Amino acid sequence: MTTKRFLLFRCLTGIRVPISRKATWAIGTSSILLLLVLYTWLSIHQHKINSTDTTIPTWMQMGEGISKAFAAQLRTGDRWIIEDVLATFSRLGFGLGIGVFIAFALGMSMGVWRWMEAFFLPILSLFAKIPPTAMMAVFFTLFGTELKMYGAIIAFGVIPTLAQTIYLGLKDIAPERIDKARTLGASTTEIIFWIMFPQILPKLLDAIRLQIGPAMVFLIAAEVLVGDVGFGYRIRLQSRLLNMNVVYPYLAYLALFGFGMDTGMQWIQRKLCPWYVKGGA
Amino acid sequence: MKLILGVSNASFQVGDQHILHGVDFKIGRGQIVGVLGASGCGKTSLLNLIAGITRPTSGIVSVNYDGQEEIEVKEPGPDRGIVYQAYGLYPFLTSLENVALGPKLHLTTIPRRMWGRVTGSWRRMRREHLKHAEELLVRFGLGDAVRKYPHELSGGMRQRVAIAQALIMHPQILLLDEPFGALDEATREDLQRMLLVLYEENIQAVGQGKPAPHTILLVTHAISEAIFVGDRVMGLSRYWNWEEQGFSSCPGATVVYDKVAPVFKPTDSADFEKFSGQKNEIARLVFGGNVNVRPQDHCTFWSQVHANHGHGVTRDA
Repeated sequence: MTTKRFLLFRCLTGIRVPISRKATWAIGTSSILLLLVLYTWLSIHQHKINSTDTTIPTWMQMGEGISKAFAAQLRTGDRWIIEDVLATFSRLGFGLGIGVFIAFALGMSMGVWRWMEAFFLPILSLFAKIPPTAMMAVFFTLFGTELKMYGAIIAFGVIPTLAQTIYLGLKDIAPERIDKARTLGASTTEIIFWIMFPQILPKLLDAIRLQIGPAMVFLIAAEVLVGDVGFGYRIRLQSRLLNMNVVYPYLAYLALFGFGMDTGMQWIQRKLCPWYVKGGA
Repeated sequence: MKLILGVSNASFQVGDQHILHGVDFKIGRGQIVGVLGASGCGKTSLLNLIAGITRPTSGIVSVNYDGQEEIEVKEPGPDRGIVYQAYGLYPFLTSLENVALGPKLHLTTIPRRMWGRVTGSWRRMRREHLKHAEELLVRFGLGDAVRKYPHELSGGMRQRVAIAQALIMHPQILLLDEPFGALDEATREDLQRMLLVLYEENIQAVGQGKPAPHTILLVTHAISEAIFVGDRVMGLSRYWNWEEQGFSSCPGATVVYDKVAPVFKPTDSADFEKFSGQKNEIARLVFGGNVNVRPQDHCTFWSQVHANHGHGVTRDA
């Protein structure tokens, strides 16, 4: 066996054998291409059976669907995509903002003061077990179907995980680091914000990044149920009309948004916590 | 020699667990005291009492820096620096920032820093801190590592940074809690010699009639290290004659050994033959575990000093 063939064999069969960056990109791109090819084949196949099918639209039909979302509506002059983006992302921003703020206050308090830990931990553990989608009925009743309701659902969904991430991160800090800070003349406030907080910041950013997905799930679910604008509403409405050429691009926008947020959060982490990215803990 | 630290009849227990009992000693300015003891005998607890991280159940820990007023230790402070075996460095700060952290926290407050950012005074002050920190790191042979994070350094380098971090505060007393325990033999000896350099600075200062700048308590379980680095060796043990004193169970570890140790220069070779007698004595009394040691028989440091058997800064006490 030649060296090249042997290396290829090792890469294919060996456990976690490293591959080059170029190869990683090539394999990653080919997986997306394969998906597109499969979809194309499926669509062509379906249209041979039923030429008016809209459940697996052709690329041409998909283009029409995208244009429809971007075009100004005849009656109102509004564009769906702008309306939906504004509605969904303002709700997401509002909900995540409230969620992160409350989780930060709760997690920090529980990690710093034992009495806060004793008070909030049982409540938090209890609420963490209730699926946020099951709480929708409560929030519809309490807040109606306006912005506050969406914010409450997202916040309710992300607070337990985020607060516990912060709390557990603080609990993990070696006591000697805190004792040493005291011998260096740090006040309690300085220990909390200059010693403890920077150590959990990268984990907090990771947790926020991972919570964007669940937050989107809660939001889209609520929009599907009671929304009159937004991604969830549009997907529900258009799927009922079997306009999948609008639905699939909307799903792609959501995927792109998620990818963008992920990359953005990783960039923030690299900027704020270079030590963590380099492998420190 | 002026006394700088006094531990008077201090006992310490956690719940039902008796850790220290009747610990009583005084330390003079400029001494390096090796504190020995078996694992779990309360060495770190003693260091925590002195640092003010915990309070004794009974007894007093006091410091006396100006030779006049004794101050009871009630909480940690920048006058007592501490270095741990696990380094205790902050992973989010570079070596330089780790060392310059103390001056930032001790010499300024949050409002002052915030106002200083507006007026520009904070930047000037910070520049001074960083300059001083860099000088210290260069002195400790870490000139190339100032911008590196702790996880990018070797164990020996991290421990040097940790010592520099404590020393930048000019602590009156430096507490070292098994600082070289996790290091290889060569690095360990290298750092031991670094402490001997500090001791030499003490001897020079005393020779010039100035107060010795470094008083160090080195907690270790390595007998050779305590004797090589210290001018005095103390031993803590749970095996002492507590039954004769009327206790039905061990009331905690106490100081069972306290004697002068030979003083070495940083350039001297670590000739262990020179102190094999003392080493065997310590091994038997402090680590023996099967003898009812009478502490008063082996805690003779001050009588040795008064009989002019002291070395280094204790010679002229």
